[in-house]
Parts: sequence; C-alpha cells; structure tokens
Amino acid sequence: MKKLLIVDDAAFMRLAIRNMLQKHEIEIVGEAANGAIGVEMYKQLLPDVVTMDITMPEMTGIKALKAIKAFDPQAKVIMVSAMGQEGMVKEAIINGAKTFIVKPFKEEFLYQTICKVLGI
Amino acid sequence: MSNQYVNEPMLDLFIFESMQLLEQMEHLIISNEKSSSYASDAINEIFRIMHTIKGSSAMMLYNNISTLAHSMEDLFFVLREDKPQNVDYSELSDLVLEGLDFIKVEIAKIRNGDEADGNASDLIESLRFFYETIRGQEFNSIDQTIGGVIPSENRKPDKQQYYISKVRTETTSNRNTFEATLRFEEDCGMENLRVFGVVNDLGDLAEEYYHIPEDLDKEDSARVIKEQGFTLFLTTERSLDEIHTALIQTIYLKNLQLTQVENSESLNERHKERQILLEDYSVKVPTVCCPNRVDNEPEGKELHSTATQQSIISVSVAKLDQLMDLVGEMVIAEAMVTQNPDLKGLELNNFDKAARQLRKITGELQDTVMSVRMVPLAGTFQKMNRTLRDMCKKLNKEVQLQLIGEETEVDKNIIEHISDPLMHLIRNSIDHGLEMPDEREQLGKLRLGTIVLEAKNSGGDVLIIIRDDGEGFNKDRILAKAREKGLIQGPEDEITDKEIYNFVFLPGFSTNESVTEFSGRGVGMDVVVKNIEAVGGSISADSIPGRGTTITLKIPLTLAIIDGMNIKVGDSRYTIPTTAIKESFSPKMTEVIVDPDDNEMMMVRGQCYPILRLHDIYHVHTEVTQFTDGIIIMVEQDNKTLCIFADELIGQQQVVVKALPTYIKNTSKVIGLAGCTLLGDGSISLILDIAGLISFRRSA
Amino acid sequence: MADNGEVESQQEEVEDTQKGKFLTFCLGTEFYGIEIKYVTEIIGLQPITEIPEMPEYIKGIINLRGKLIPLMDVRLRFKKPFREYNDRTCIVVIDIKEIPIGLIVDSVSEVIAIPEEEIVAPPTMTKEGNKYIKGIGKVGTDVKLLLDSDKLLTETDFDNLR
Repeated sequence: MKKLLIVDDAAFMRLAIRNMLQKHEIEIVGEAANGAIGVEMYKQLLPDVVTMDITMPEMTGIKALKAIKAFDPQAKVIMVSAMGQEGMVKEAIINGAKTFIVKPFKEEFLYQTICKVLGI
Repeated sequence: MSNQYVNEPMLDLFIFESMQLLEQMEHLIISNEKSSSYASDAINEIFRIMHTIKGSSAMMLYNNISTLAHSMEDLFFVLREDKPQNVDYSELSDLVLEGLDFIKVEIAKIRNGDEADGNASDLIESLRFFYETIRGQEFNSIDQTIGGVIPSENRKPDKQQYYISKVRTETTSNRNTFEATLRFEEDCGMENLRVFGVVNDLGDLAEEYYHIPEDLDKEDSARVIKEQGFTLFLTTERSLDEIHTALIQTIYLKNLQLTQVENSESLNERHKERQILLEDYSVKVPTVCCPNRVDNEPEGKELHSTATQQSIISVSVAKLDQLMDLVGEMVIAEAMVTQNPDLKGLELNNFDKAARQLRKITGELQDTVMSVRMVPLAGTFQKMNRTLRDMCKKLNKEVQLQLIGEETEVDKNIIEHISDPLMHLIRNSIDHGLEMPDEREQLGKLRLGTIVLEAKNSGGDVLIIIRDDGEGFNKDRILAKAREKGLIQGPEDEITDKEIYNFVFLPGFSTNESVTEFSGRGVGMDVVVKNIEAVGGSISADSIPGRGTTITLKIPLTLAIIDGMNIKVGDSRYTIPTTAIKESFSPKMTEVIVDPDDNEMMMVRGQCYPILRLHDIYHVHTEVTQFTDGIIIMVEQDNKTLCIFADELIGQQQVVVKALPTYIKNTSKVIGLAGCTLLGDGSISLILDIAGLISFRRSA
Repeated sequence: MADNGEVESQQEEVEDTQKGKFLTFCLGTEFYGIEIKYVTEIIGLQPITEIPEMPEYIKGIINLRGKLIPLMDVRLRFKKPFREYNDRTCIVVIDIKEIPIGLIVDSVSEVIAIPEEEIVAPPTMTKEGNKYIKGIGKVGTDVKLLLDSDKLLTETDFDNLR
C-alpha cells in the first residue's frame, strides 16, 4: 500500500482526509500539525506522497515543501490550499509541488489526485 | 448532508476545534480592543483562525459559516498587509464579534442536531462596507477573484512575464519547434494554475515558448483553457518524444496533441509585439502576496513546539465519566468486601492488612481519576470578559474585571453549571450595582469600577466570590419587598443585615422596577440559585451600602464521592457529609431546653442550637427517643448550626453519591435528602442535605 | 450506512416479537397485564429502604445489583386494601422512557399473547383503578385488565400525598 503523510494544522482537516481515504488502498503513516514536524516526519517515515496545507503557523507549507524537497528531490507533495491562494499555489509549484487541491474538496477528487501523483 | 465520509467523530472534532479557535479569537479581540489598535500578532492569529474555520466549515458543507469566515479573513488580510491608518478599532471589534457570535450560534445549532440555517448576508455586507472604508478608493480597481465577496489574497496581479531560458543560442541545427494543445479533464478546476505547473516544468526543456491564453492570471483564463484548451508553442533542442513524455505527465490532462511545426520564424514573429524580459538565471519567482512573517523565526522555536505537542492529549468526556463511574463502583465493591457482614467479629490480621492496602490503593486511584476531571476555572472566568465588555458598552459604564485564583480547579461537570450563573451575577452587578462613571466621580470613587472575580479552595469546597465596588444593596427596599411578599419569618428587628441581603435569592424576588434586557425581573436570580444548588452548592450575599456587594458561591469540589459519616435511626440509615460535621456527643438532659413553641434546643458551651429529631421528621420508627439514649451530631453549613439527633454512629467511610431515582425525584422533592449511597452490606443509606435540613428546621 | 440499517431492523424484529404480548399478574381476584416490552425483570421481595414524604403507594427503594429502583405498591396505587407481603409477592421491574420502577404485586402469572381483536376499550366507570387501564383483553373465558404504563408513572394522586 502506498504511504501518505498528512501535514495540516487543523485537526479537523487531518481527520477529514484520513476519513476520506479509509476505504482506499492508501496507508496514512503519519499526521503532522505544523510544517516543522511535517519535515521531521517525512525524514523518518519516507512516505510515497504528502498532503501539505499551505497556511500553517510555525513553518508554512511552502517552507516545509522546500525543506522536504531539499531532503528528497523526488518527494511528491500535494498542496492543500483554500480559495484565493493562487499566488502561494504558484510559488509552491515553482518549488516543486506536484499539484494542488482546493478546499473544499470531495473524497473522489482527493483520491484521484493522489493516484495521479503516484502514477497509479 | 451527502458526505459519506463525515461521521460523528468528525463532526465532534469540527465543533470542538472551531469552538476552541473562536474562544481564542474572542479573547484576542477583547484584550486588543482596549488599546487603540490591534497588535500585529493578534491580526495574524485572527486571520489564521478565520482561514482555518473557512476551510473546515467548507469541507463540512456549512457554506454560510464558510462565506462569513472568508469575508472576515479577507478583512484581516488587508489589516495585516496594508496596515491602514484610518481604522475605527471599536467598530471593527463590534463587527468581528458579531461575526464570531453568528458562527458560535450556527455551531451550537449543529451541536444540537439542528440545521445551520443562519443568514449572514447582512453581516457580510457590513464587513464589505467596512473593508471598503479602510481600503479607500483602491477597492474598485481590483477584480474579484475566486470565491469570497471581497477580493482575496491575489489582489495584486503579477506582471506579465515570459520566461526565457538562459541559453540563448542563435544557431543550432537541432532546434525544433512544437505546437502542443492540452485539454484538461472536466471539473479539475483552476485550469490556469494547472497549466502554470506545466509551464514551470518546461523551464529547462524549452528555450523559448509562449502560450495561449497568454495571461494566466486573468480571471477567465481558467475558463478559456477549459473551453478551448491550452496551446503551447515552444522551441527546444529536445525531441518530440522527450517533450511528449514531459507533457503527458501533467496531472488531470485529458488530451494532448503535439506536432512539430516548421520554422521558428513564426515563433519569433508572434513574439514581436510583446514585451520580452530577459532573465538571468533561474526562473523568477512571481510576486507572492502573502510573504510569511514566520520565515524569520529561529529554528529553535520550531523544535520547541515539537516537544510540547506530545505532552497533552485530549480525551472524550464520556470516557472520563465512564472511568469515574467505574471508580465509584469499585469504592462500593471494596467496601462490600472489607465490611462484609460475614466477617463481622472475626479476627483477621492478614486480611485486615491486605484490606488496608486495598483501601489505600483505591483511595489513590480515586484521587487520581478525580484530578483528571479537574479543570481550572480560568476558562470560565475568561469568558466573563466578553460579558463585561458587552454590558459596559451597552450601558456606557466603565468597569474592569480583576481575576484572582483562576487556576483553582473544579470538576468538569460542575464547570458547566457555573458559567451561566456567573454571567448573570456579573450582568446584575454592572446593571444595578455599579454606578455611571460621572456619578462615581461625584461620589469620590474612581470612574473605573471594578468587579473582582476570585476563586479559592476551602475545605471540600471551592469558593467563588464576585465583589463589586458599586452602590451595594438597598437594605430598606429589600426588606420592604420581602415584607410585601410575606417572606419574613419571626420578628423583623431580629433579622440581621446579612439575612436581609440574602432575601434576594428567594424565588420571585426583585426590587428592580424596570425589566432590563439583561437582568429580568426576579427570574434571573432564581435560576442562578437553582443552578448552584443543582451542583450541591450554595450562594450568599453581603453588602456595604455605598461601597459594594459581595456574592459568594460555595461549590463542592466534586459531586461524585464524598467522605461521609453513617448513622442509624431505627432500621434506616443516613449519611452525613463529614465536611459538615463539627462534633458529635452523647447529650445530657441538662443541656436540652424546650422553648414555649415546643422547639427543642441544645446548649453547647454557652451557645444555643436547634435540635432536629431525624426519626421525627422522617417518621421513622425507632426505640431511641430519649436524648440520653442516642447521639447528637452537630453540623454546620453557611455559618448556621444544627444538632441532629440519631440512634447511633455506624462509621465513617467514603461514599459514592448516587442520585435518588428519577421517579422519586419526579414525585416530590424531599427536604433534607441530597441523594443516596450503597453501604458495605448492600443496604441503602440516604445522604442528608445539611443546608436543606437547617432551613427546614428554622422554618418549623 | 449498512450497519445501522441492520441494527435497526434487528431491533424492530425484537419489538415485533414482543408486540401484543403481556405479562400478567394478579391483585386479589383481578388479573392485570402489562406489555412485556416494558418489563426488564421479575424478582422476589427484597429489603426496602423507605423514603420519607412519599405517597403511601411508594414504598421506598431497593438495591438491584447496584442500581436503585423505586418501588410502587400497585394495590395501594389502585386504592385497594393493603395486603401483607409474603413469599409469593413479586416485584415486576419495568422501564418506561428510561425511568425504572418496580411494581409490587401479589403474584405473577404468565406471559400471554393477546391479539388486537381481543382487546376492547375499558368501561368508563369511576372506580379508582380504571384510569390506569388502557384496555380489556379477553383470553378464553378470562379477562385481563391491561395497564397503561405511562399513566401509571405520571398520574399523581394529589390526595395521596401527605
């Protein structure tokens, strides 16, 4: 099963993503509540894909993305953004995010995006 | 809702997290309102909170909450980025608090299982208006982007740029020109950003390229791409296959057409009219509208947060309740073993030792479980800031709230019952106790009134004191009203001032001539008293005319397990909370006095106390009716003392308080009974409510 | 969700099998019936702890495996003469809308099914016990007075209170 790391400061979003994927063949190997922890967890868990919230305290999604990419240039990171964050999404893409999804999103959309990113 | 992935825990978490964030936000607003501007930390934090709530409520399909949060987020974005000077922070606070209240109400509806059907459009309109005011004339020039009513973070359109690689070779035989048309899957959304990804990835592959539509930031570029596809022209040294491989990986790509085009001249021609920016090395990063302040944070701080994350977990209250119940059952079971009638009279040294050890461990377990449920009053006290602020604003009074001892802890179950009474008492204080600022000045007082909210431990109770420096109670008016309502017993001149003040707690009592929106007419105080008594607490008042009023709430630390003294009256058993017992003794006939009304009283060290015969008031048959055959237990509550007459003391033990069965409670309220408990031998003992007995005896 | 549906239909099944079934007990010469779905258990007499200031038909409470159950003497409730308890006396523990209560009866008879057609409305007489009767069930040559459990619990006799 493919491994996924969720990075989002809202406990609610982490649970939402977890719930959405529970009947799919994706294993949630970790949840991080801020970018810094997310980076550390990535290094330890080496997941196949990461969902990364853009707006977080302590360390933003962009910064965490950069750190993860620096550690693992092949890292597959999906940015989770809210409406109206085009500028940041662009910056994320430039810094190596594979793609993005916008809140609110439906379960199918999340799963499809992850599949496409993983090439399955 | 048709979200099949949404379940109970998610809803609970949504409610919990959102309410937590809203509380933080309320605190920030109130503390910042006092200064003439909001601290930048606060603005950022409020921005983030609204952003988070916007996202989660959208996921849960509560669009009215999401849209409102979005407007508020935009507002705080502007405050953060532009730092406008002409902001009316008082009005801002009102507006934001209104928005916060709306969301709170909607969440309360959701919590109750009702529809979140509130309409915030008026509020959003007001927010928009406020936004316009602080942005000035710049507002109109900005296009509306996706989503919110107010243009969001992407307000400043990026300058149009064309990306050209660093190597600008004029001649090479391997240069190919391709034309690619990309079509995206339906509903993938934000097509313009998807192609941005494509273009970005092309960075190293192509020497020159341009695309149609050209301007990806334009509002309808996504729509254009959706309808007409994305056309890309590029010149590169790479082969068709390589370009194809690169482009086919685009996520959500439905269709790719790639053809080689003849000459590169056409490419240049198409470029002619446009402005070309030569870049040096790497691709230029487009201006990002939200530079992150946090970039400047030192590494150390980030690591610190990792550590603190692990030391707290959140536990569902239901589990704690279950744990508490089990511990209670265990206490009873332990008593049933160690005090089993089968063991009566036996000499069991080893057993006794083991039983003592068991008792010790049970006791520790009990203490620990109870401490888990203990919650500091700080949260509840902090909520009072909002009440104070709203009241002061509406009544134009100037009052500050001083909190003392907020770290004092109380059982979680009890906390819920304290909030409303406190709120009412503070409202009362501001409404009726505290004078208008001008009047205060004239009286030589400080303009700024003070309400002190203090909590402290006292034996097995927690005292919560609300003390104001207002005008105090009007003794004469209270007395008159009490007289009018026939609430006075006994001769009037024997009533102490303190007793007069406590008349205000009697049901239906109110000396306010007008029904104010907040305090109501005699209804509020009654509810306060009920709430406090429901948790086994008591309330009392004292006042100094002209100087202020003090209301004291006495709340038991925990409802569930108390230390009790079991007593026997005939075949019945009763339990008295040991915290109420002052002493017990065998009475002598010489100490007993009977007054002309046949009330029996006891003389103890020169003081006279009323006697209550349990067998009498509860019509229990017992052989022991002579005082000298039985025992007197002197109990005290709220500075009032009573001597209870019973057959004998059975013993002291920890008892688990069980409520009287619902049917019994529904039938009628029995004076003097607080609940019941199961004794070690399986029999039921009725727990006495000392306060109730005292007031009963006094009115007898 | 599939799971919920299953549980629900199971519960309905259980309820269906209980419909129309009554537990019968007697007070003197009269037989009464109460819907079995309300009955949680039937126990023998136990030590009763009196509660002061209750109407005389509320005898007190008992400790049933840690749970406190109030007891109602049905004879007294129906204003019949009190009869001393003996070893045939039973307590029928019922639970209505999450309120448990134990009914003290002379003795318990059997559980019978009484089809709807055999149940007629009670006669409107002014006898005390009748306000608690929901219907009269015919079983062969006997009649059973079927209790209205709600009324039993909620009607308060003000003259009975002290």
